[in-house]
Amino acid sequence: MLTMINLNLPANDICAVILIISGLFFFFTSTLGLLRFPDLYSRMHATGKGDTLAVLLITSGAIIHHGLNLNSAKLSLIALFIFIANPTATHAIGRAAYRCGIKPWLRNCKTTDSGEPQK
Amino acid sequence: MLTKVYENLIVQTVCRIMVPFIQVYALYVIAHGHYSPGGGFQGGVILTASLALIFLAFGQGAVLGRITRRMSIILCGFGVFIYAGIGLLCLLLGGNFLDYSQLAPILGVSIPRARSLGILGVEVGVGLAVMAAMYSIILDIAGSPAPGIDQLTPESKK
Amino acid sequence: MNTFFLFVDLFLGFLVLGCLYRVVLGPTTIDRMIAVSAIGTKTLVILILIGFIFGRVEMFVDICTVYALLNFLGTLAATKYFEEKGKC
Repeated sequence: MLTMINLNLPANDICAVILIISGLFFFFTSTLGLLRFPDLYSRMHATGKGDTLAVLLITSGAIIHHGLNLNSAKLSLIALFIFIANPTATHAIGRAAYRCGIKPWLRNCKTTDSGEPQK
Repeated sequence: MLTKVYENLIVQTVCRIMVPFIQVYALYVIAHGHYSPGGGFQGGVILTASLALIFLAFGQGAVLGRITRRMSIILCGFGVFIYAGIGLLCLLLGGNFLDYSQLAPILGVSIPRARSLGILGVEVGVGLAVMAAMYSIILDIAGSPAPGIDQLTPESKK
Repeated sequence: MNTFFLFVDLFLGFLVLGCLYRVVLGPTTIDRMIAVSAIGTKTLVILILIGFIFGRVEMFVDICTVYALLNFLGTLAATKYFEEKGKC
C-alpha cells in the first residue's frame, strides 16, 4: 500500500492535503476532549471551538483542491454557515445547562452535600 | 413549556440574519428539482424550517403575526389550486391531464421549453402547499391552542 | 487523491464512534445533545469528501447545506425543552 503513494502532486493538491490533515487533527483533539474532560461545560468548550475550526480548515482544503468554481462558492457558503451557527448552538446549550441548575466542576475544592464549594 | 420565552439575544440576532438566506435557498431547491436533489416537497420543508426558526427564537406570537392560521389554510389551498389549475388548463386545451406540451402555443415557446416551464409551475404550487401544511402541523404540535377553538369551556369558567 | 480522501473518511468514521460513547454514557441529557451535534458536524465533512470521491460535487454540496441547517435547528429545538430548573 505504501508504494502507491505518489508525491508528484500539483501545488494546490499539496496545500489541500496540508489543510485537511490539520483539520483532522483538530477533529481528533476535540473528540478527545469530549471523551476525557470532567465536566459538561469544558466538553462544550472542546466541541464548539474545535469542531468549527476543523470544518473551516477542511472546507478550505476542499475549495483549494477543486479550484475556483461554482461548487467552491457553495462550499464557502457552507463554511460561513457553520462558522455562524455552531457557536450559536453551543451558546444555546450552555444557557440551557446553566438554567437547568448544573454547577461547573471545580478542581481543588471539596464540595458540601448540597454541591456548593467549601473553603 | 414552549410558551415561556427566555429572550436569548444571541439566538434572536442570528435567526434574524439567517432567515432570508434560508428562504432564498429554499426557492433555489424548489427551482432546481429536475437537476439536483430537491423539488417541491423538499423546498417546502426548508421554507417551513425558516418559519420554525422564527418560532423557536421569538415565540409563537411573532410567527403568528407573520402568517396567521387563516393565511396558512388559504396558502395551502392556493398551492393545490396552482397544481390542479395547470393540469386542468392542459386538459382544456385538448391534451391529457398535466400534458404540458399543450401550453406551448399560449406561452409562445417550443414544446420542450413548455414542458420545463410547466414542471416549474407545478413545483411552485407543491412547495407552497407543503409549506402551509407543515407550518400548521408545527403549530398544532408545539404551540398553544388558539383561543376559543379547541376548548370546550372558556378559560374563565374552569 | 481519492485514496487519501477515503482514509480521511475512515478516520472520521472512527471519531464518530468515539462520540457515540458520549451519547450512550453521558451523565446528563445535555451531554448527549452536545455529542449529537458533534456527530452531525462530522457527518457533514464526511459527506463533502464522499462527494469528491464520487466525482459529483454539486449534488453532495447541496445535501450538505440542508444537513447543516437541520443540525442547527434540531439542537436549538432540543434546548428549548431544558429551560426549566431541574429538568435534566
